[in-house]
Amino acid sequence: MPSKLSYFSKRQKAQILNSVLYLIIILVLLATCWLFLSNVDTLFPDETYHQVEGMDQWRSGGETVSEERMSFGGGFWKKPGFWRSVNITFVSSTITMIIAALIGIPAAYALSRYKIPGGRFIDILLASIIVLPSSSVGLCLIVMFQFTWLFDLQKLLDMHLVYSLPGIVVVQLVLSLAMGIRAWKAAFDDFNPRFELVARSLGSSSWRSFRTVTLPCVKGGLIAGCIVAWARAAAEFGGILIFCSTFSERPESYFSSVTKAIGLNNADNLAVSMWSHIEYGNLELGFAMGFTLVLISACSVYIIHRLGGKSYQW
Amino acid sequence: MVSLKKVGFWPLVCCVALFLILVAYLFLLASNLMYLGLSDLLIFLPRERLWVRVGLTLYTSVIATFFSLVIGIPAGYALSRLKLPWPSLTSTLLDLPVMVPPAAIGAFLLGFMASFPVKNVCEFLNIEFAHNTAGVILVQFVVTLAFCCRLMKAGFDNVNPRYEAVSRSLGSSLPRTLRKVTLPMAKNSIIASAFIVWARAAAEWEALMIFVGGIMGKTDVLPFSVYLDWNGGLMGEVVTYSLISIAMAVLSMSAMYFIGGRTRAF
Repeated sequence: MPSKLSYFSKRQKAQILNSVLYLIIILVLLATCWLFLSNVDTLFPDETYHQVEGMDQWRSGGETVSEERMSFGGGFWKKPGFWRSVNITFVSSTITMIIAALIGIPAAYALSRYKIPGGRFIDILLASIIVLPSSSVGLCLIVMFQFTWLFDLQKLLDMHLVYSLPGIVVVQLVLSLAMGIRAWKAAFDDFNPRFELVARSLGSSSWRSFRTVTLPCVKGGLIAGCIVAWARAAAEFGGILIFCSTFSERPESYFSSVTKAIGLNNADNLAVSMWSHIEYGNLELGFAMGFTLVLISACSVYIIHRLGGKSYQW
Repeated sequence: MVSLKKVGFWPLVCCVALFLILVAYLFLLASNLMYLGLSDLLIFLPRERLWVRVGLTLYTSVIATFFSLVIGIPAGYALSRLKLPWPSLTSTLLDLPVMVPPAAIGAFLLGFMASFPVKNVCEFLNIEFAHNTAGVILVQFVVTLAFCCRLMKAGFDNVNPRYEAVSRSLGSSLPRTLRKVTLPMAKNSIIASAFIVWARAAAEWEALMIFVGGIMGKTDVLPFSVYLDWNGGLMGEVVTYSLISIAMAVLSMSAMYFIGGRTRAF
């Protein structure tokens, strides 16, 4: 019986499949590139001016557009508000990262080493925190800090977290801690516990064996996890918008002198700031902040890859 | 009773830290239900507005997940098996949409949809993305595609290429090998990833704020309507939406762990 006639040979078929796979990857890569690059022209106001012209005249009462708005990116480097936004993003996410590392690394170590009852339940809890909508996170935090015993505790301590500057750290902590614990647990899982047991059998205490044996070996993974937590904190938007609201239009008297000295007053997170500028019509300034965010995340993703961590812990 | 000296200082610190975190997270998830109470929840649950929005969320996120998987499975297989040039650059670029805030992605989509090839394709297909349900699906697709590829890559990495090589050496063609060997072996992790992608798509709202805006009956998916009705001051309804979002997240993650739990990719 003659075999079925085929137009392509087997080798050719494999080659076709391979090239289709390459094509899909290249298309995804090109689309990602184009997603960011197609917006570069927004930074040059000659192009974007026509889009906002009507709105601008309506706002300024028929006056012509200022020189500053016609410069590159709305002259973002001359605006103190932009630098205060960058400042607040870096300061809040660094504080969040430090707190998350201090609590999260021991917790991840416990998850990885000890037999904790209900391990699957803990996994589900952490995973569902990660896929929780950020609006829901903000609302849960508001309910938590305003309508439960935590409110009385705050009154007792004479502080108020909702709609305040430290509240940003609280919101960021929810997501970055969950992401960080997953990353740190993966780092501890990769390390063979035998080395530690040898150190223990030679007479060192559990803390000493952790500090002198485990910690130096998993350092890269732990730092990668820290950067995951930092980048997630810097990318937080929805929760901050609901839990802390915005700060840029609040009166000067709202901020303490310490806050003003560090330069955290009257400014939002970069993401929130970008949203408010775009909604207001300051497209150039908003997209300048958007590109700053992309730059920050690109740097952190690159460092995470170099350290051998995974940045796709969803 | 185990004495403190026997357990040691460091394991105790670790376990206490873990316990505190778990209690805080449980309290966070349960706070909405504690605030609203069961009797009030039963008042807000039968409202039609709520179920229209739940339906819209399910509709958009399932379609977005479908498109994500259609591109993500071959892309993940390609990432897992092919050697790409400039690995650090390409992997950074691929992971970028996961790390960039979704709000920024929504802003960048504005320019992307108005740029040369995309705009013409949309006009040709006659799809209106701005202020429309199609825009919601597009946003959810763009936000989930990058880590869908990554999760699929992790799934296919678990399948040893030796099995494929054996199957090829026994004379089966490459598509047949894919169908009969690779896909069945990666099935669990593909299903698990599909649940994660769906949960992430259903949780997306930040990019919607900039790209499509809130339009009743068209773009107000559950997480977005939490924000919209929060601004409207409808606290009871907002908490109900939030509760349903939490239930969706917890259920999909439980399903993910129980169905695809045998894989160790996650």
